[in-house]
Amino acid sequence: MLPIFADLDPHTIWNAPSGSIELVIKCMVALLLGAAFVGICFAIPSQLRRFIIFTATFVSGGFYILFYYFPAPIARQPLDQPRNVLEGFSFWLTDAQPIIATISNTIGSFLIGLGIYSLMRVHLRKLMKKQKDWGYSLVLFVSMLLMVTFGYWDYFDRFGKDGAAMAAGPAGGAWHFQQYANDILFDGFFQQMEAGMFSMVAFYILSAAYRAFRARSIEATILLATALVVMLSVMGAVVYQWDEGIKALAHNDPGSFLNNFKLDVIAAWLKDAVQTPSIRGIDFGVGIGLLAMGLRLWLNLDKTGGAV
Amino acid sequence: MDYQLFKLTCGVVAILGLYTVLYRENKFYRFWEHVFLGLAAGYSMVFLWSETLKGGWWDKMVGTTAEHANGSGASMAYPFYAALLPIGLMGYTVFNKKYNWMSRVPIGIILGLYSGQQISAWQNRYVPNIVSSMKPVIPTTLEFTKPLTKGLSKEATAAINANLYPSQAITNIIFLVTLLSVLSYFLFSFDVKSKIIHRMSLNGRWLLMIGFGAIFGSTVMMRFTLLIDRMYFIWIEWFKQGILHR
Amino acid sequence: MASRSSIAELGNKLQSLPKPALYLILFLVASLPLIKPIPLPNSPDPASIDFYAHLMELPEGSKILICSDWTNSTRGESMGEMDALLRVLMRRKIKFAVYSIGDGQAPRVARETIARISREEGGGQPLYKPYEDYVVIGFFPNGEGQTAAVNTNVRAAFAGKTDISPTGQREVVQSPVFEGINSLADFKYLINVTASSTNTVILERIKKTNLMFAVSGVMVPENTVYYASGQLKGLLGGIKGVYDMETLMEYGVNNPGPHMVTSAAYGQIPGFPGKANTGKGTAYYPALHVCLSVLILAVITGNVGMFLSRKGR
Repeated sequence: MLPIFADLDPHTIWNAPSGSIELVIKCMVALLLGAAFVGICFAIPSQLRRFIIFTATFVSGGFYILFYYFPAPIARQPLDQPRNVLEGFSFWLTDAQPIIATISNTIGSFLIGLGIYSLMRVHLRKLMKKQKDWGYSLVLFVSMLLMVTFGYWDYFDRFGKDGAAMAAGPAGGAWHFQQYANDILFDGFFQQMEAGMFSMVAFYILSAAYRAFRARSIEATILLATALVVMLSVMGAVVYQWDEGIKALAHNDPGSFLNNFKLDVIAAWLKDAVQTPSIRGIDFGVGIGLLAMGLRLWLNLDKTGGAV
Repeated sequence: MDYQLFKLTCGVVAILGLYTVLYRENKFYRFWEHVFLGLAAGYSMVFLWSETLKGGWWDKMVGTTAEHANGSGASMAYPFYAALLPIGLMGYTVFNKKYNWMSRVPIGIILGLYSGQQISAWQNRYVPNIVSSMKPVIPTTLEFTKPLTKGLSKEATAAINANLYPSQAITNIIFLVTLLSVLSYFLFSFDVKSKIIHRMSLNGRWLLMIGFGAIFGSTVMMRFTLLIDRMYFIWIEWFKQGILHR
Repeated sequence: MASRSSIAELGNKLQSLPKPALYLILFLVASLPLIKPIPLPNSPDPASIDFYAHLMELPEGSKILICSDWTNSTRGESMGEMDALLRVLMRRKIKFAVYSIGDGQAPRVARETIARISREEGGGQPLYKPYEDYVVIGFFPNGEGQTAAVNTNVRAAFAGKTDISPTGQREVVQSPVFEGINSLADFKYLINVTASSTNTVILERIKKTNLMFAVSGVMVPENTVYYASGQLKGLLGGIKGVYDMETLMEYGVNNPGPHMVTSAAYGQIPGFPGKANTGKGTAYYPALHVCLSVLILAVITGNVGMFLSRKGR
C-alpha cells in the first residue's frame, strides 16, 4: 500500500485525524511540496525537460508493467502477512493499484477542466472585445452560469437529510425552486438537446446514402449488399414474411435444404462465417496498433506534439 | 400548464430550434447551439466536483469525522492528496507558449499509466479471440449437413454435436480464409513480391467490405432509432400525453 | 438517340431528389408509425436470449455491478436497454451498484432512470430504496485505471465514494449492497450499458467475474466478435436488443404458446406476463422498419438512376 495516500495503521506520519490542526498543517506541506515541484519545472533548463516528461511517463507505465507481470499473491486473505521481501513487494503492488487509480482519476479530473477553460477563454475574449457574434458568447455564459449555480445549489441541498426525498423527484414534496430550476436546465433542456444533436445525423445519413452509396466497384457492391442484408435481418416483419415463404416452399419440412435460405439463417451464417472474422481481423489490426502505440508512449519514442 | 408539461415544452422548443439547421444555418439555431454548449460546460463543472473530485479526492484528503459520517464511522485524512492539485494544474500551462511543455507532465502520467496496461489489456482482449479462431476444418463424418436434433435424447444430441460435418467444415474454412485475408491486408500493406500474399490481401480488401457493410447497417439502425426517439418525445410524450391528455 | 437521352434524363432525375424532400420524408416516416405501433413478429437473437437467461438464472438476492456509460444522447437505445435490465433485476430482487467511466452525466441519468423504473415497478411508490437496494457510486474519469482497480480490489476501488441514504450521504461500501462483497467475483456479473468505447476498457481488464454488455446499434458488429469468442455471456444490441428483451420478458423462453421463443440451449425460463413489459423496443421497432425501408428505397433509386444515366450516355 502507499502509506502516503492510504494506510491500515490508524495514525501515522502520513495521515491525520479529520478536522485537526495537524491535518491543516500537513495539507499545507503537501501543497507546498507540489508547488515546489511546479516551481522547479518553471526554472529548469530546457535540456532537462524531456527527461522529466520521460520519467513521469516511464515510471507510471512501469508501475503497471510490474503490477501485471510480477507474481501476484494467490488467494490472499485480508490479514495475510508477506514472508519475505519479494512477497512484500508483491503485496505492495496489489494494494497500491487502487490508490494509483485514485491518483489517475484525480489528475484526470483536473485535466477535464482544460476543455472548459479553453471554451471560456475563446468566448470571454469575444465578449470583452465585442467581436462578431459576441451575443452568442453571452448566451453561452449565461446558460453556463445558470447550470453551475443551480447545479451546485441543488447538489448541496441533497447533502442534507432531505436528500433521499429530493431524489424521489418533484412528487417527493421536498423540491424547492433550485431543484426545479436544475431539473429544467438539465433534463428539460440539456439532455433533450443532446439527444436532438445526435439524432440529426439520421437526416445526413439518408441524404449521403442516397447520393453516394453506389455499386460502382466490386468493393462498393459487397458493402452495399452486406449493409442490405444486415438492415433486412433486423426488420422482424420482413424476416417473418420471407421465412414463411421459404417454409411454404419447403412444405413445412424442417429437414428440407430450402430452410437454409431463410433470411435469419442467411444473416446468421454471414455473421458467423464472414462478418465476425472480417471484423476480428480489423480488431486484431487495431490491437497491434494500440500495442505499438502503448510501447511508443511508454518509452517516449513519440516525438510528435510540439517541441520541448 | 403543470410543471412536467412545462419541462417537456422546453425540450421540444430547444429540439426544434436545433433542427432548424437542417434547412440552413440561422440565428435561432445558433442561439440554441450556444445554450447547449453553455449547459454542457456548466454541467461539466458540476459533475467535476459532485461525481468525481468530492468523493475521489477531497473526502480522502480531509477524511471524515464521526459526526459527519452518518453512521459510516470516522475515517483518517490523507493530506498528501493535496500535492496532486499543483500537479494537475500543470496541465493548464498548455495555454502558455513558454511553459506549455509542463502540461505534458500530468498528461504523461496519465498516458504512462495507460501504456503500461496495454500488454496485459491486449492479452485479455485478443487471446480468447485467437483461441476461438482456431477452428477445426477436417470433417469427422461424410454426412454433408448436421441432422436435426429436435426431439432426440441427450445422448443422441451429444453424439451428433461431437461430429464435424462437411458443411460446418466449409464454413470454418471460409472463416479462416476471411480472417487470414483481412489480417494479411493489414500486415502486408507495403509492397509484397509473393503472389499468394498479394492475392490474399486483395481478397482481404473485399472481405473487409463485408465487415464495413455490417457496421454501416448497424450505424444506420442506431441513428434512425435516435431520430425515432426524438419524434416519440415530440409527438407522444409532449403532444399526445402532455397536450392532449392533460 | 432521343430515347437514350430521355433514359439519361430519367436517370439524372432519379439521382437528384431535393434534400428537403428527403428530410421531410424521413421526418414523416419516423413519426407516423409512432401514433399506433403495430406489434411485429420477433425472433430474439441467441445473444439476447443468453442475456435474459443469465439474469433469470441468478438466485434472488444476488448482487451485480453495472457500469452505466450512457446519457440521453443515445436515449433511443440505451435507455430501453437500461429500463429492461432494471425491470428484470427489480422483479428478481437483485441488488446492484452502478458506476460510470464513460461520461460525467451518466451517474445522474442512471439515478433518474432507476428512480423512474422503481416507481413504475412499485405502482407509484419506489420499489427499490436508494442505498438499501442500490447505490450509484459516481464517475471515474480514468476508466482504464479504475476498471483495473475494480478487478484488483473492488472495495478499495470504491472506498471514499458516497451516495444518498435515508440519513444523508454515506459511504457506498458500507451500504447493504456491498454486504458480503470482498472481491469482484462476489458480484455475479458486471453489466456494461454503454454507448461509448468503455466496452473494450472493461473487456481488457476484468477477469474475476462474468461480463454482459448492452450496447448501442453501431457497436453490435464489434461486440458480436467478443460474444462469439465467449468473452461475453450475453449481449443486447441496439433497439433490436431492447425489443428482444421485451419479447423475452413477455413470453419467456421455451414456454408453449402462439409466440413461443425457442432456444436449444435452455430449458423453460418464465417470462413476466401481465406486467409492464413493453417499452421503447415495442414503440420504436415499427417506425424503424419504415425508416430502413425508406433508406433501402433511396439507395435503390440512386443506383437505378446511376445505371440509367450510364446507359443513356
